Amino acid sequence: MKWLGIGLCAVAFAAPLMGAAEPVKIPGGLFDTPVLLDSDTPSIAVETFWLDATPVTNHQFLTFVQAQPDWQRGNIAALFHDGSYLSHWPADTVITEQQHDAPVTYVSWFAARAYCEAQGGRLPTLNEWEYASVLYRQQQGLTDEDYARQLFAWYSNPGASQQQPVAADAQQLAHMHGRINEWVEDFQLLIQSGDEVDVLSGSCGDSARFLAKFNQANYATFFRYQSRSDYAAQNTTSTLGFRCAYDQRNEP
Amino acid sequence: MKTLIWAAAASLSLLAPAMAQDHSHHQHHSQPPQAAEPMAEHSVYQLQGQWTTQLGQSLALRDLQGQPAIVTLFYGSCTTACPVLVNDVKRLYQLLDPQLQQQVRLVMVSLDSERDTPEVMRAYTENYGLDNDRWLFLHGNDADIRGLATVLGVRYRKRDDGNFDHSNLVTVLDREGRVSFRVEGLAQPMEKAAAHLNAL
Repeated sequence: MKWLGIGLCAVAFAAPLMGAAEPVKIPGGLFDTPVLLDSDTPSIAVETFWLDATPVTNHQFLTFVQAQPDWQRGNIAALFHDGSYLSHWPADTVITEQQHDAPVTYVSWFAARAYCEAQGGRLPTLNEWEYASVLYRQQQGLTDEDYARQLFAWYSNPGASQQQPVAADAQQLAHMHGRINEWVEDFQLLIQSGDEVDVLSGSCGDSARFLAKFNQANYATFFRYQSRSDYAAQNTTSTLGFRCAYDQRNEP
Repeated sequence: MKTLIWAAAASLSLLAPAMAQDHSHHQHHSQPPQAAEPMAEHSVYQLQGQWTTQLGQSLALRDLQGQPAIVTLFYGSCTTACPVLVNDVKRLYQLLDPQLQQQVRLVMVSLDSERDTPEVMRAYTENYGLDNDRWLFLHGNDADIRGLATVLGVRYRKRDDGNFDHSNLVTVLDREGRVSFRVEGLAQPMEKAAAHLNAL
Protein backbone atom coordinates (compact mmCIF):
# COMPACT_ATOMS: atom_id res chain seq x y z
CA MET A 1 0.00 0.00 0.00
CA LYS A 2 1.22 3.45 -0.87
CA TRP A 3 0.73 6.01 1.89
CA LEU A 4 -1.15 9.20 1.22
CA GLY A 5 1.09 12.17 0.69
CA ILE A 6 -0.14 13.91 3.83
CA GLY A 7 0.89 13.81 7.44
CA LEU A 8 -1.46 13.11 10.28
CA CYS A 9 -0.64 16.50 11.75
CA ALA A 10 -2.42 18.09 8.80
CA VAL A 11 -5.76 16.80 10.00
CA ALA A 12 -7.79 19.45 11.78
CA PHE A 13 -10.44 18.33 14.22
CA ALA A 14 -13.61 20.10 15.18
CA ALA A 15 -14.72 20.23 18.80
CA PRO A 16 -17.15 17.41 19.56
CA LEU A 17 -20.76 18.13 20.47
CA MET A 18 -22.38 16.35 23.36
CA GLY A 19 -23.43 12.90 22.27
CA ALA A 20 -22.33 13.07 18.66
CA ALA A 21 -18.93 13.10 17.04
CA GLU A 22 -18.29 16.08 14.77
CA PRO A 23 -17.19 15.67 11.16
CA VAL A 24 -13.45 15.62 10.64
CA LYS A 25 -11.51 17.37 7.91
CA ILE A 26 -10.06 15.11 5.25
CA PRO A 27 -7.30 17.11 3.54
CA GLY A 28 -7.32 16.78 -0.23
CA GLY A 29 -4.59 14.92 -2.03
CA LEU A 30 -3.84 12.29 -4.58
CA PHE A 31 -5.58 8.97 -4.09
CA ASP A 32 -3.71 6.00 -5.49
CA THR A 33 -6.75 3.91 -6.18
CA PRO A 34 -6.38 0.25 -5.26
CA VAL A 35 -9.01 -0.67 -7.83
CA LEU A 36 -8.39 0.57 -11.34
CA LEU A 37 -11.69 1.51 -12.92
CA ASP A 38 -9.71 3.43 -15.54
CA SER A 39 -6.57 1.54 -16.45
CA ASP A 40 -4.89 4.80 -17.48
CA THR A 41 -5.83 6.71 -14.30
CA PRO A 42 -3.90 5.18 -11.40
CA SER A 43 -4.29 8.18 -9.12
CA ILE A 44 -7.21 10.52 -8.59
CA ALA A 45 -7.17 14.04 -7.13
CA VAL A 46 -9.50 14.30 -4.13
CA GLU A 47 -10.54 17.76 -2.91
CA THR A 48 -10.57 18.59 0.78
CA PHE A 49 -13.86 17.58 2.39
CA TRP A 50 -15.31 16.77 5.80
CA LEU A 51 -16.56 13.36 6.82
CA ASP A 52 -18.52 12.25 9.87
CA ALA A 53 -16.07 10.72 12.33
CA THR A 54 -18.44 7.84 12.96
CA PRO A 55 -21.30 6.17 11.15
CA VAL A 56 -24.72 7.76 11.73
CA THR A 57 -26.35 6.19 14.78
CA ASN A 58 -29.89 4.95 15.33
CA HIS A 59 -30.50 7.87 17.66
CA GLN A 60 -29.33 10.42 15.09
CA PHE A 61 -31.50 8.79 12.46
CA LEU A 62 -34.47 8.72 14.83
CA THR A 63 -34.12 12.48 15.30
CA PHE A 64 -34.18 12.85 11.52
CA VAL A 65 -37.32 10.78 10.95
CA GLN A 66 -39.07 12.58 13.79
CA ALA A 67 -38.41 15.86 11.97
CA GLN A 68 -39.22 14.41 8.54
CA PRO A 69 -42.12 11.96 8.94
CA ASP A 70 -42.04 11.08 5.22
CA TRP A 71 -38.99 9.00 6.07
CA GLN A 72 -40.61 7.08 8.89
CA ARG A 73 -41.04 3.35 8.41
CA GLY A 74 -44.79 3.58 7.98
CA ASN A 75 -44.66 6.48 5.55
CA ILE A 76 -41.68 5.91 3.26
CA ALA A 77 -42.61 5.47 -0.41
CA ALA A 78 -42.23 1.98 -1.83
CA LEU A 79 -39.90 3.44 -4.46
CA PHE A 80 -37.30 4.19 -1.79
CA HIS A 81 -36.90 0.86 0.05
CA ASP A 82 -37.24 -2.91 -0.22
CA GLY A 83 -39.71 -3.59 2.57
CA SER A 84 -37.27 -4.00 5.46
CA TYR A 85 -36.54 -0.32 6.08
CA LEU A 86 -35.79 0.24 9.80
CA SER A 87 -37.39 -3.14 10.48
CA HIS A 88 -35.13 -3.65 13.51
CA TRP A 89 -36.74 -0.74 15.40
CA PRO A 90 -39.53 -1.69 17.83
CA ALA A 91 -41.83 0.93 16.25
CA ASP A 92 -41.74 3.74 13.69
CA THR A 93 -40.17 6.25 16.08
CA VAL A 94 -38.89 4.00 18.85
CA ILE A 95 -35.43 2.54 19.31
CA THR A 96 -34.08 0.40 22.11
CA GLU A 97 -31.46 1.56 24.58
CA GLN A 98 -28.98 -0.83 23.03
CA GLN A 99 -29.63 0.60 19.57
CA HIS A 100 -29.24 4.22 20.70
CA ASP A 101 -25.55 4.72 19.86
CA ALA A 102 -25.10 1.84 17.44
CA PRO A 103 -24.76 2.58 13.70
CA VAL A 104 -28.13 2.78 12.01
CA THR A 105 -28.69 -0.07 9.56
CA TYR A 106 -31.67 -1.17 7.47
CA VAL A 107 -31.50 2.13 5.63
CA SER A 108 -31.72 2.45 1.86
CA TRP A 109 -29.45 4.62 -0.25
CA PHE A 110 -32.34 7.06 -0.71
CA ALA A 111 -32.90 7.39 3.03
CA ALA A 112 -29.18 7.83 3.67
CA ARG A 113 -29.04 10.61 1.07
CA ALA A 114 -32.09 12.33 2.56
CA TYR A 115 -30.54 12.22 6.03
CA CYS A 116 -27.27 13.74 4.84
CA GLU A 117 -29.08 16.42 2.86
CA ALA A 118 -31.00 17.37 6.01
CA GLN A 119 -27.64 17.86 7.78
CA GLY A 120 -26.40 20.15 5.01
CA GLY A 121 -24.22 17.36 3.67
CA ARG A 122 -24.29 14.51 1.20
CA LEU A 123 -23.08 10.95 0.92
CA PRO A 124 -19.34 10.74 0.23
CA THR A 125 -18.35 9.65 -3.23
CA LEU A 126 -16.75 6.25 -3.56
CA ASN A 127 -13.34 7.83 -4.08
CA GLU A 128 -13.75 10.12 -1.07
CA TRP A 129 -14.75 7.26 1.19
CA GLU A 130 -11.94 5.01 0.02
CA TYR A 131 -9.42 7.85 0.29
CA ALA A 132 -10.58 8.42 3.88
CA SER A 133 -10.26 4.70 4.48
CA VAL A 134 -6.57 4.87 3.55
CA LEU A 135 -6.15 7.81 5.93
CA TYR A 136 -7.89 5.81 8.64
CA ARG A 137 -5.49 2.91 8.16
CA GLN A 138 -2.61 5.35 8.61
CA GLN A 139 -4.14 6.87 11.74
CA GLN A 140 -4.78 3.45 13.23
CA GLY A 141 -1.32 2.23 12.29
CA LEU A 142 -2.88 -0.73 10.54
CA THR A 143 -0.50 -2.83 8.49
CA ASP A 144 -1.79 -4.12 5.18
CA GLU A 145 -1.95 -7.59 6.65
CA ASP A 146 -3.89 -6.50 9.76
CA TYR A 147 -6.29 -4.49 7.62
CA ALA A 148 -6.95 -7.41 5.31
CA ARG A 149 -7.34 -9.78 8.25
CA GLN A 150 -9.84 -7.45 9.98
CA LEU A 151 -11.84 -6.93 6.85
CA PHE A 152 -12.06 -10.62 5.97
CA ALA A 153 -12.96 -11.43 9.58
CA TRP A 154 -15.83 -8.97 9.27
CA TYR A 155 -16.95 -10.34 5.92
CA SER A 156 -17.06 -13.84 7.39
CA ASN A 157 -19.38 -12.70 10.22
CA PRO A 158 -20.65 -9.20 9.40
CA GLY A 159 -23.55 -9.26 11.85
CA ALA A 160 -21.42 -9.73 14.93
CA SER A 161 -20.37 -6.18 15.65
CA GLN A 162 -22.79 -3.69 14.13
CA GLN A 163 -24.82 -3.25 17.30
CA GLN A 164 -21.87 -2.04 19.36
CA PRO A 165 -22.03 1.68 20.20
CA VAL A 166 -19.87 4.08 18.21
CA ALA A 167 -17.36 6.33 19.92
CA ALA A 168 -19.56 9.40 20.38
CA ASP A 169 -16.57 11.58 21.29
CA ALA A 170 -14.38 10.43 18.40
CA GLN A 171 -12.05 13.19 17.28
CA GLN A 172 -10.69 11.33 14.32
CA LEU A 173 -12.16 8.81 11.91
CA ALA A 174 -13.59 5.80 13.68
CA HIS A 175 -15.17 2.48 12.69
CA MET A 176 -14.37 2.75 9.00
CA HIS A 177 -14.01 -1.03 8.84
CA GLY A 178 -15.30 -3.80 11.01
CA ARG A 179 -18.74 -2.50 12.00
CA ILE A 180 -20.88 -2.00 8.92
CA ASN A 181 -20.57 -1.51 5.21
CA GLU A 182 -21.38 2.07 4.22
CA TRP A 183 -23.37 3.62 1.38
CA VAL A 184 -21.53 5.98 -0.94
CA GLU A 185 -23.07 8.26 -3.56
CA ASP A 186 -21.81 6.30 -6.56
CA PHE A 187 -21.76 2.77 -5.16
CA GLN A 188 -22.47 1.01 -8.43
CA LEU A 189 -19.43 0.10 -10.46
CA LEU A 190 -19.24 0.34 -14.20
CA ILE A 191 -16.53 -0.31 -16.71
CA GLN A 192 -17.19 0.59 -20.29
CA SER A 193 -15.23 -0.44 -23.30
CA GLY A 194 -16.80 0.86 -26.48
CA ASP A 195 -20.39 -0.33 -26.47
CA GLU A 196 -19.66 -3.09 -23.99
CA VAL A 197 -20.58 -2.47 -20.37
CA ASP A 198 -19.21 -4.43 -17.42
CA VAL A 199 -20.72 -3.96 -13.98
CA LEU A 200 -18.09 -6.05 -12.16
CA SER A 201 -20.74 -8.22 -10.62
CA GLY A 202 -18.44 -10.87 -9.35
CA SER A 203 -16.64 -12.93 -11.94
CA CYS A 204 -13.55 -14.62 -10.55
CA GLY A 205 -11.30 -12.77 -12.94
CA ASP A 206 -12.40 -9.31 -11.79
CA SER A 207 -9.99 -8.98 -8.92
CA ALA A 208 -6.98 -9.80 -11.02
CA ARG A 209 -8.13 -7.50 -13.79
CA PHE A 210 -8.72 -4.44 -11.67
CA LEU A 211 -6.27 -4.48 -8.78
CA ALA A 212 -3.56 -1.88 -9.09
CA LYS A 213 -1.29 -4.33 -7.34
CA PHE A 214 -2.23 -7.78 -6.19
CA ASN A 215 -1.86 -8.07 -2.43
CA GLN A 216 -4.10 -9.01 0.47
CA ALA A 217 -5.06 -5.44 1.34
CA ASN A 218 -6.11 -4.53 -2.20
CA TYR A 219 -7.98 -7.79 -2.52
CA ALA A 220 -9.89 -7.05 0.70
CA THR A 221 -10.62 -3.52 -0.54
CA PHE A 222 -11.82 -4.80 -3.89
CA PHE A 223 -14.20 -7.11 -2.05
CA ARG A 224 -15.76 -4.01 -0.50
CA TYR A 225 -16.07 -2.26 -3.88
CA GLN A 226 -17.77 -5.29 -5.28
CA SER A 227 -20.14 -6.07 -2.42
CA ARG A 228 -21.24 -2.44 -2.29
CA SER A 229 -21.81 -2.45 -6.04
CA ASP A 230 -24.06 -5.48 -5.86
CA TYR A 231 -26.64 -3.63 -3.75
CA ALA A 232 -29.70 -1.99 -5.25
CA ALA A 233 -30.43 1.52 -3.98
CA GLN A 234 -33.61 0.24 -2.31
CA ASN A 235 -31.79 -2.44 -0.30
CA THR A 236 -31.88 -2.30 3.48
CA THR A 237 -29.79 -4.83 5.39
CA SER A 238 -28.49 -5.45 8.90
CA THR A 239 -24.92 -4.65 7.84
CA LEU A 240 -25.35 -1.53 5.71
CA GLY A 241 -25.30 2.00 7.13
CA PHE A 242 -23.62 5.27 6.22
CA ARG A 243 -21.90 8.46 7.28
CA CYS A 244 -22.19 11.90 5.65
CA ALA A 245 -19.69 14.12 3.87
CA TYR A 246 -19.63 17.91 3.67
CA ASP A 247 -18.01 20.28 1.19
CA GLN A 248 -17.62 23.07 3.74
CA ARG A 249 -17.53 23.25 7.52
CA ASN A 250 -16.66 26.07 9.83
CA GLU A 251 -13.08 25.70 10.94
CA PRO A 252 -12.82 25.32 14.71
CA MET B 1 -46.43 7.78 2.45
CA LYS B 2 -49.51 9.93 2.51
CA THR B 3 -47.74 13.10 3.54
CA LEU B 4 -45.25 12.89 0.72
CA ILE B 5 -47.90 12.07 -1.84
CA TRP B 6 -50.10 14.97 -0.90
CA ALA B 7 -47.20 17.36 -0.53
CA ALA B 8 -46.21 16.44 -4.09
CA ALA B 9 -49.79 16.76 -5.26
CA ALA B 10 -50.07 20.18 -3.64
CA SER B 11 -46.86 21.32 -5.34
CA LEU B 12 -48.15 20.04 -8.65
CA SER B 13 -51.31 22.05 -8.31
CA LEU B 14 -49.18 25.16 -7.91
CA LEU B 15 -47.15 24.27 -10.98
CA ALA B 16 -50.06 23.19 -13.13
CA PRO B 17 -50.76 26.65 -14.59
CA ALA B 18 -47.12 27.02 -15.66
CA MET B 19 -47.18 23.61 -17.31
CA ALA B 20 -50.41 24.41 -19.10
CA GLN B 21 -48.70 27.43 -20.53
CA ASP B 22 -45.48 25.65 -21.47
CA HIS B 23 -47.01 22.51 -22.93
CA SER B 24 -50.61 23.38 -23.54
CA HIS B 25 -50.90 20.78 -26.26
CA HIS B 26 -50.21 18.11 -23.66
CA GLN B 27 -53.07 19.05 -21.40
CA HIS B 28 -56.54 17.56 -21.49
CA HIS B 29 -58.65 20.46 -20.42
CA SER B 30 -61.81 18.40 -20.21
CA GLN B 31 -60.30 16.20 -17.49
CA PRO B 32 -59.79 17.14 -13.86
CA PRO B 33 -56.29 18.45 -13.15
CA GLN B 34 -53.67 15.79 -12.44
CA ALA B 35 -53.05 17.41 -9.09
CA ALA B 36 -56.15 15.67 -7.78
CA GLU B 37 -54.48 12.29 -8.31
CA PRO B 38 -52.34 10.89 -5.50
CA MET B 39 -48.91 9.79 -6.71
CA ALA B 40 -48.33 6.07 -7.17
CA GLU B 41 -46.10 4.38 -4.59
CA HIS B 42 -43.53 3.37 -7.22
CA SER B 43 -43.67 6.56 -9.23
CA VAL B 44 -40.28 7.90 -10.25
CA TYR B 45 -41.92 11.31 -10.14
CA GLN B 46 -41.63 11.29 -6.36
CA LEU B 47 -38.00 12.29 -6.83
CA GLN B 48 -37.46 15.89 -5.86
CA GLY B 49 -35.34 18.25 -7.93
CA GLN B 50 -35.60 21.07 -10.43
CA TRP B 51 -34.59 20.54 -14.03
CA THR B 52 -34.25 22.98 -16.91
CA THR B 53 -35.36 22.16 -20.44
CA GLN B 54 -33.53 23.06 -23.65
CA LEU B 55 -35.91 26.01 -23.90
CA GLY B 56 -34.84 27.29 -20.50
CA GLN B 57 -38.07 26.28 -18.75
CA SER B 58 -38.01 24.95 -15.23
CA LEU B 59 -39.46 21.48 -14.72
CA ALA B 60 -40.01 19.02 -11.86
CA LEU B 61 -40.36 15.36 -12.77
CA ARG B 62 -43.89 15.31 -11.34
CA ASP B 63 -44.85 17.78 -14.07
CA LEU B 64 -44.56 14.85 -16.50
CA GLN B 65 -47.37 12.97 -14.78
CA GLY B 66 -50.42 12.24 -16.90
CA GLN B 67 -48.86 10.95 -20.12
CA PRO B 68 -46.39 8.16 -20.83
CA ALA B 69 -42.76 9.16 -21.15
CA ILE B 70 -39.70 7.60 -22.71
CA VAL B 71 -36.71 8.52 -20.57
CA THR B 72 -33.08 8.10 -21.57
CA LEU B 73 -29.86 9.29 -19.92
CA PHE B 74 -27.08 10.43 -22.22
CA TYR B 75 -24.65 13.29 -22.64
CA GLY B 76 -24.25 15.76 -25.46
CA SER B 77 -20.56 15.53 -26.25
CA CYS B 78 -20.76 11.77 -26.51
CA THR B 79 -20.25 10.89 -30.14
CA THR B 80 -20.46 7.10 -29.95
CA ALA B 81 -23.36 5.60 -28.01
CA CYS B 82 -25.45 8.72 -27.46
CA PRO B 83 -26.52 9.54 -31.02
CA VAL B 84 -27.52 5.88 -31.26
CA LEU B 85 -29.61 6.28 -28.10
CA VAL B 86 -31.37 9.32 -29.56
CA ASN B 87 -32.04 7.34 -32.72
CA ASP B 88 -33.35 4.40 -30.65
CA VAL B 89 -35.88 6.70 -29.00
CA LYS B 90 -36.83 8.10 -32.41
CA ARG B 91 -37.34 4.56 -33.77
CA LEU B 92 -39.55 3.69 -30.80
CA TYR B 93 -41.56 6.87 -31.26
CA GLN B 94 -42.16 6.11 -34.94
CA LEU B 95 -43.70 2.75 -34.02
CA LEU B 96 -46.32 4.34 -31.74
CA ASP B 97 -49.98 4.86 -32.59
CA PRO B 98 -50.53 8.37 -34.02
CA GLN B 99 -52.68 9.35 -31.04
CA LEU B 100 -49.99 8.27 -28.59
CA GLN B 101 -47.38 10.11 -30.60
CA GLN B 102 -49.28 13.28 -29.77
CA GLN B 103 -49.10 12.53 -26.05
CA VAL B 104 -45.84 10.80 -25.21
CA ARG B 105 -42.91 12.82 -23.93
CA LEU B 106 -39.43 11.96 -25.18
CA VAL B 107 -37.21 12.88 -22.25
CA MET B 108 -33.43 12.96 -22.65
CA VAL B 109 -31.63 13.63 -19.38
CA SER B 110 -28.01 14.73 -19.57
CA LEU B 111 -25.43 13.11 -17.28
CA ASP B 112 -23.15 16.08 -17.91
CA SER B 113 -24.31 18.96 -15.70
CA GLU B 114 -21.18 20.94 -16.50
CA ARG B 115 -21.18 21.01 -20.28
CA ASP B 116 -24.78 20.28 -21.26
CA THR B 117 -26.34 23.62 -20.42
CA PRO B 118 -29.86 24.32 -21.70
CA GLU B 119 -28.28 26.37 -24.52
CA VAL B 120 -26.05 23.46 -25.54
CA MET B 121 -29.05 21.13 -25.40
CA ARG B 122 -31.05 23.49 -27.60
CA ALA B 123 -28.24 23.53 -30.14
CA TYR B 124 -28.22 19.73 -29.93
CA THR B 125 -31.91 19.44 -30.82
CA GLU B 126 -31.40 21.86 -33.69
CA ASN B 127 -28.38 19.93 -34.99
CA TYR B 128 -30.30 16.69 -34.94
CA GLY B 129 -33.53 18.22 -36.22
CA LEU B 130 -35.53 17.23 -33.14
CA ASP B 131 -38.91 18.84 -32.47
CA ASN B 132 -38.67 21.02 -29.35
CA ASP B 133 -42.37 20.42 -28.66
CA ARG B 134 -41.92 16.67 -28.57
CA TRP B 135 -38.47 16.27 -27.03
CA LEU B 136 -37.45 17.43 -23.57
CA PHE B 137 -33.71 17.68 -23.01
CA LEU B 138 -33.16 18.13 -19.30
CA HIS B 139 -30.29 19.75 -17.45
CA GLY B 140 -30.06 19.17 -13.69
CA ASN B 141 -27.61 19.11 -10.82
CA ASP B 142 -25.33 16.15 -10.11
CA ALA B 143 -27.29 14.88 -7.11
CA ASP B 144 -30.61 14.89 -8.98
CA ILE B 145 -29.02 13.20 -12.00
CA ARG B 146 -27.57 10.50 -9.74
CA GLY B 147 -30.93 10.01 -8.04
CA LEU B 148 -32.85 9.61 -11.30
CA ALA B 149 -30.19 7.38 -12.87
CA THR B 150 -30.15 5.12 -9.82
CA VAL B 151 -33.93 4.80 -9.73
CA LEU B 152 -33.97 3.86 -13.40
CA GLY B 153 -31.01 1.49 -13.07
CA VAL B 154 -28.58 3.48 -15.18
CA ARG B 155 -24.98 3.18 -14.01
CA TYR B 156 -22.50 5.86 -14.96
CA ARG B 157 -19.14 7.24 -13.98
CA LYS B 158 -17.45 10.47 -14.97
CA ARG B 159 -14.01 9.86 -16.38
CA ASP B 160 -10.97 12.04 -15.85
CA ASP B 161 -11.27 13.45 -19.38
CA GLY B 162 -14.78 14.75 -18.64
CA ASN B 163 -16.54 12.02 -20.60
CA PHE B 164 -18.81 9.42 -19.05
CA ASP B 165 -18.97 5.67 -18.95
CA HIS B 166 -22.66 4.76 -18.81
CA SER B 167 -25.01 1.89 -19.33
CA ASN B 168 -27.40 2.27 -22.25
CA LEU B 169 -31.02 2.09 -21.27
CA VAL B 170 -34.29 3.35 -22.72
CA THR B 171 -37.02 3.40 -20.05
CA VAL B 172 -40.77 3.61 -20.61
CA LEU B 173 -42.69 5.28 -17.78
CA ASP B 174 -46.44 4.90 -17.56
CA ARG B 175 -48.81 7.81 -16.97
CA GLU B 176 -48.10 7.67 -13.24
CA GLY B 177 -44.35 7.67 -13.72
CA ARG B 178 -43.81 4.00 -12.91
CA VAL B 179 -41.13 2.09 -14.80
CA SER B 180 -43.14 -0.16 -17.07
CA PHE B 181 -40.69 -1.28 -19.76
CA ARG B 182 -36.94 -1.16 -20.24
CA VAL B 183 -34.81 -1.64 -23.35
CA GLU B 184 -31.21 -2.38 -22.44
CA GLY B 185 -28.36 -1.97 -24.90
CA LEU B 186 -27.88 -0.01 -28.08
CA ALA B 187 -29.79 -0.36 -31.35
CA GLN B 188 -32.16 -2.96 -29.93
CA PRO B 189 -35.46 -3.94 -31.60
CA MET B 190 -38.20 -1.57 -30.41
CA GLU B 191 -41.31 -3.51 -31.42
CA LYS B 192 -41.99 -4.93 -27.94
CA ALA B 193 -41.52 -1.58 -26.27
CA ALA B 194 -43.84 0.03 -28.81
CA ALA B 195 -46.51 -2.64 -28.32
CA HIS B 196 -46.24 -2.11 -24.57
CA LEU B 197 -46.59 1.65 -24.91
CA ASN B 198 -49.52 1.37 -27.34
CA ALA B 199 -51.31 -0.83 -24.81
CA LEU B 200 -50.80 1.53 -21.85
